[in-house]
Amino acid sequence: MAQTNVAPTSTRAAQGGKRRVMPPVLRAFLWSGIAFVVVNTFVDVVDPFRGHPFVTGPSATFGWVAAVIGWLLGVGVWESVALPLFGYPDTWREKSAGWRRYFEYSTDHKVIGLQYLGSAMGGFLIAGAVAMLMRVQLMSNHLTIFRYPTNYLTAVGIHGTIMMFSVANVALLGGFGNYMVPMMIGSRGTAFPKLSGISVWLVPAGILTVLFSPLLGAWTTGWRGYEPLASQDANGILFYYLGVAALTMSTFIVALNMVTTIMFRRARGMTWNRLPLFAWGQLTVGLLVLIWIPEIQTTFVLALLEKLIPFNFFAATGSVMSYLELFWLFGHPEVYMIAVPAFALWNEIIPVMSQKSLFARDWAVIGLVFVMMLSGLVWAHHMFTNIRNSELLPFSFFTEMISIPTGFAYMAGIGTMWKGKIRLNTPMLLILMSMFNFLIGGLTGVLLADPMVNLQLHDTFYVVGHFHYTVIGSLVFTGLAGVYYWLPKMSGRMYNEFWGKFLSIVLFLTFNITFSQFFLLGLHGMNRWVPAYPQYLQPMNFEVSIFAFFLGASFLGHFIHIFWAWAKGPKASENPWNARTPEWFTTSPPPRNNFPVEPEIVSSLYIYGSSQPVSVQFPAEQELAAAKDPDGEGGPVQ
Amino acid sequence: MDVVGFGILWVVLSILGELGVRVIIHNDPLYYTASNIGLMVENAMDFLLVVLVPIFIFVGLTLIWSMIRFRVKRGENPILPEKFVRNNKWFVGSWVIGSIAINLLFFLHPTASATEQFFAMENPQSPQNQQAVIVDVTARQWEWIFSYPQYGLKETLNANGQDQLELPVGRSVKFVLRSYDPYHTYDQYVDVIHSFWVPSWGIKEDVIPGEIRSIYITPTKLTSFAQNPMSRVQCAEVCGPGHPWMEAPLNVVSTGQFQKWIQYQKNLQNGLS
Repeated sequence: MAQTNVAPTSTRAAQGGKRRVMPPVLRAFLWSGIAFVVVNTFVDVVDPFRGHPFVTGPSATFGWVAAVIGWLLGVGVWESVALPLFGYPDTWREKSAGWRRYFEYSTDHKVIGLQYLGSAMGGFLIAGAVAMLMRVQLMSNHLTIFRYPTNYLTAVGIHGTIMMFSVANVALLGGFGNYMVPMMIGSRGTAFPKLSGISVWLVPAGILTVLFSPLLGAWTTGWRGYEPLASQDANGILFYYLGVAALTMSTFIVALNMVTTIMFRRARGMTWNRLPLFAWGQLTVGLLVLIWIPEIQTTFVLALLEKLIPFNFFAATGSVMSYLELFWLFGHPEVYMIAVPAFALWNEIIPVMSQKSLFARDWAVIGLVFVMMLSGLVWAHHMFTNIRNSELLPFSFFTEMISIPTGFAYMAGIGTMWKGKIRLNTPMLLILMSMFNFLIGGLTGVLLADPMVNLQLHDTFYVVGHFHYTVIGSLVFTGLAGVYYWLPKMSGRMYNEFWGKFLSIVLFLTFNITFSQFFLLGLHGMNRWVPAYPQYLQPMNFEVSIFAFFLGASFLGHFIHIFWAWAKGPKASENPWNARTPEWFTTSPPPRNNFPVEPEIVSSLYIYGSSQPVSVQFPAEQELAAAKDPDGEGGPVQ
Repeated sequence: MDVVGFGILWVVLSILGELGVRVIIHNDPLYYTASNIGLMVENAMDFLLVVLVPIFIFVGLTLIWSMIRFRVKRGENPILPEKFVRNNKWFVGSWVIGSIAINLLFFLHPTASATEQFFAMENPQSPQNQQAVIVDVTARQWEWIFSYPQYGLKETLNANGQDQLELPVGRSVKFVLRSYDPYHTYDQYVDVIHSFWVPSWGIKEDVIPGEIRSIYITPTKLTSFAQNPMSRVQCAEVCGPGHPWMEAPLNVVSTGQFQKWIQYQKNLQNGLS
């Protein structure tokens, strides 16, 4: 495959000017807008729907497809992929420095990783702001800021959809996966850089689609797109299906790229037994994504057709339960797509910060693999209130058993910390907090796994509390720990230890006070998806909202601190944590091809001790060759 | 030394934790339980809490213990030993076997035992279920409609004209659950999934359009919506904009009062009152 051209900014500036008429993102907006209007009008002409508005269901669907293609072409795919595909010369010049490269198509996995992280952070802020609106509404037991209940339900759906498909599925997989995994396995690139460069731009497209779905009318189903309710909704639900299609496609491509990269692009000496834990996490999750994302995409295509045609697949005259089964068949593996990278990251950071060898590494890996395999056998525990009685016991059996491999992540982490030399800095503190939160999330899940207890707790705020403990507790806390841990690597700068710890403690307290009360609300009879509820639940809801606002503010504080550290923080040393994984054996931030030459892994990455040799070496003859290579292209990238 | 200190602290904290669980159990972790199924759920929950508290304290304590006991001060560079322990077959073995044992225990009790008990309660052939009061429940967007076919009542209402569920205490009730809209002018079967939930009864059952489902419950306490708002029928599955208001008050009364109420509803239906 031809190498992507990398030109220094100075050369580009010399040639530039006439080539780039407007910033790629602006051009992408323009092209997608034009594409939407043209295709929408075309569909209106060939499929007139008299008495209907300009934008109908079918026209919006086809228009959206054109708009996404226009969007992708606009950010740079036109010059870099589309034209070369038809034999025209590749005129795209990739920038090697400057902030502008983050706002256009790129094949550098580190740029792509930061694009994913930035999109996830944007999605988090948007969906978090929506959550704040929901909490304002729930301060009183009747409609206040939302004029109609459908508005509130749409807010619930937007919050859940953006958080799940563009934050939880994106931050650790697309973000740290793309940025860190190739470096952690000693590779100088990923397997599919072009595909990956395209896929990241599906995330903002998906977020904007879901965010602006109310333009086509309110939808009431929450993040599940539940049938048959969805078939009654306005056309806004179409933008839910389409936005999620874009987001899940992006996740699918990430998994394809990560699995292939980990399998075929490992450095010499990076054996399966030496593979970093985070890479193991990415591999197992990648396999989960490759199995289950196509399944849910198929289901959503059926639901989309049900809405447009309609087919009545999932209505009372069809098979109502089919949609539920198909959704949760994906829905539970989805939970582990979120959680497994977090478990992996715990045991990535704990040995480094404890300066102690990873304890029971084989069990930690077995835990990840078994969680992945069992996760496909537990879906119907989301359906204890509607499956047949004969199905209760098998599903509750597997649901209870999945806590065993999950526990192995704890066992390895605790065994590593025990009698270690723990440096209690911000990333380590956040990891410990994440383990504590997930412990609560897991133990409250034991109650939910029991079918009889589940019949009472299902669809109440208890469940809402449980999954926010697992998702925010495990994923978001661990994600923040990852940002602080790798900040010196990605930016070359250090955060402020006092502010990092202070904000983390505030975050931990506000999070726990807010969501622990969700359990009590649920036990007391608070059901889900309600902007109005009985009076007796109002005092506690009011108080929960107050803490929720502080929780939101502490997230904002973290983001401001991280941005400050990124731009203005003190310079960090090359390997501030004395880590042994390969990503720390290059400059910070890393050069375009990660390493001057392909590194060789010569000893275990997680064994600490005074007599341990350095784990990563650069073969001398290749270094010599690199010295003769002034372009910095490095050795052969296989 | 660390292991012994940790062990003692774990036992002490677990005892305190169990005392806390006693208080919770005494006050009913479900807040208010008023049916035979609810009592079963409560027992299952009590058992799980008793076993889970020492586990919670064990894992939580290891995190806090490590954080305090094994931390090094900032800037301090401790001398690392030649080699670290990377495995401990006693710790790993007891963790693996212990977690398998606890999960098998949970599966046998309360999961399998309570589920078996539930199946027995739901057996239509059992003597108490043969004598059950039958209530046909129709869920539509957005209303619960209760009718009592044994008494010829089509739709029971209270003085405010709201749908009302009223039942005699201590007698099995058979709910026949359907989701359709009898008032729709031409397409009665267009409806969505609802969920029949009485918070104080400890159970919910989804109502699926196109299916007929039944469930047997015995109310065990004299109660009313006015006395405790958990005594209400509430839709638990999102079913559109009217979902929050899809609720109906539930009163559980003595057999004598129930007969009087039936008579009142009959008169109401026949236009006599």
